[in-house]
Amino acid sequence: MPSTQVPPIAGSATDPPSIRPPIDDATIERVAPAQLRARLEALKGDGYAMLLDLGAVDYLQRKPRFDVVYHLLKLRPTKAGVAEVGSPARIRVLCGVADGERLPSVMDLWRSADWAEREVFDLFGIVFDGHADLRRIQMPYDWEGHPLRKDYPMRGPARERSPRPSFANKSNVVAGTPPSGRTLEALQEEIRRAREQ
Amino acid sequence: MPTPEIVTQKENTMVLSMGPQHPSTHGVLQIVLEIDSENVVTAEPEIGYLHTGIEKTAEGLFWTQAQTVMERMDYLAPSSNALCYALAVEKLLGITDRIPERAQTVRVLCMELTRIASHCVWLGTHGIDLGAISVFFYCFDLRENILDLQEATGGARMHPNYVRIGGLNGDLPVGQLEKLDALIEKFPGRMRELRGLLQANPIFQDRTIDVGVLTPEAAIQWNVTGPSLRASGVAYDVRKAFPYCGYETYEFDVPTRDEGDAYARFLVRLDEMEQSMRIIEQARKRLDKPGPVMIDDPKIALPPKETIALSMEALIHHFKLISEGFRVPPGDVYQSIESPRGELGYYIVSNGENRPYRVRTRPPSLYNLQALKGIAPGNLIADLVVMIGSLDPVFGEVDR
Repeated sequence: MPSTQVPPIAGSATDPPSIRPPIDDATIERVAPAQLRARLEALKGDGYAMLLDLGAVDYLQRKPRFDVVYHLLKLRPTKAGVAEVGSPARIRVLCGVADGERLPSVMDLWRSADWAEREVFDLFGIVFDGHADLRRIQMPYDWEGHPLRKDYPMRGPARERSPRPSFANKSNVVAGTPPSGRTLEALQEEIRRAREQ
Repeated sequence: MPTPEIVTQKENTMVLSMGPQHPSTHGVLQIVLEIDSENVVTAEPEIGYLHTGIEKTAEGLFWTQAQTVMERMDYLAPSSNALCYALAVEKLLGITDRIPERAQTVRVLCMELTRIASHCVWLGTHGIDLGAISVFFYCFDLRENILDLQEATGGARMHPNYVRIGGLNGDLPVGQLEKLDALIEKFPGRMRELRGLLQANPIFQDRTIDVGVLTPEAAIQWNVTGPSLRASGVAYDVRKAFPYCGYETYEFDVPTRDEGDAYARFLVRLDEMEQSMRIIEQARKRLDKPGPVMIDDPKIALPPKETIALSMEALIHHFKLISEGFRVPPGDVYQSIESPRGELGYYIVSNGENRPYRVRTRPPSLYNLQALKGIAPGNLIADLVVMIGSLDPVFGEVDR
């Protein structure tokens, strides 16, 4: 099972801030959702022309529940040699988001945010306001749930509901009953009775 | 050639789906095209056909087990994903400085060999897309030599799982350096042949020059990295900007071009293969000196096989590492390397347990492929194939 214990991350919203100093060379910054858009605009104006990555983490029991993580790279959008590029500054902007809370889209600042935001929406269910085309990207369009959430079962809800896939029930097995003859409900009932004893 | 008035005219367009089963899309890519006769008005790539939930799977595996699934992302350059993940976990463990020097050298060697192998697949398939079938055989012959070397190190052709957290699976096998010497000797002649087949070929030039032009501004706006960014004139290479595994001690150039078209991306990748060989030659010289290839820490590295039957501690360590793995101190880290396709990054969060809490990949192919939306409109459908090929996406990595 995936571990659900909440990690004490340096700089996180509710945990003591100085558990461990940051260990990579990026500058780390935490921004509230209301200030996110203004801060990212300021960073873009400051020369962070590349949105290196946009991802999210689900800290199930923490409040706010999610972290949306922006990695920016200070790279000038002009032709440049190795010496001019040098070692560009990297910044990581973390933004705590509660379940159901919306974030402003940055698609108009960096066009590469398009697919990245769609992926965060698809796999975590975080909605980005102002995104032109926010629909699922990795999962099928009719999929239910957001798989990278920590409360999403590892094997998917379909497997949780029935011990056999639906196509197996249609052939030579009586529809709805797995070959063992024991339905999930019967199994759960058995487990419940065993626990009570 | 791009004709802006066609892009704005919306009445006579038709929607056409290209893929997901199309031989020139290099995997399961579907592109929903809005076309006006032969001209592309909009192109919307649809991905996710190969989504296997690798990031979710990794959350349920030990730190070492997760590395195995990481290798399955970019199946043309598996060692690069394994290395980037290992470097990130090593940073979290705080053991980056304690990795033996020989392990670092062999890692560089593996990285550059996979870069050449990956570019061979790209060049061969790109040639086939454009009708130059024979290039494919020359490329795959060279790649096969490299896969032989990979197979000798890890036991598998495609996914050797040779790079491990803390070092390597084992030292290079007997006879490996001789095989490597033979490859180093063969390489320049093979490169001359590859260049001779395509570089001055008028048909190839006609199909690639001025096709899919990415300006530096557009490339950075679309978050394009790797050879595709360098073909637009920006010499951003993670090996130079944020060196890892001692890349700062190797002498190599970062090839760039100014045109930003498909032909420039082709030339940059060819130059890169030669630069990779330069690094391999330097690494080869350092490998004569024997040394350890795994960190000397029984809490992370498996004990040598022969000690397990003799030493109680070794047996206990082996049992603990296999049955529950090691724990990684809490924290988050972003680590990136230069994979054959661009900046490959891992953002890893640990909560102090024996399994990763979250592994976020920054796949270079995903962002590079997304740029297709920007460069396809206004071009011909036939050129779309050239553009996809020149961006070199790998769908194991795009969809994960």
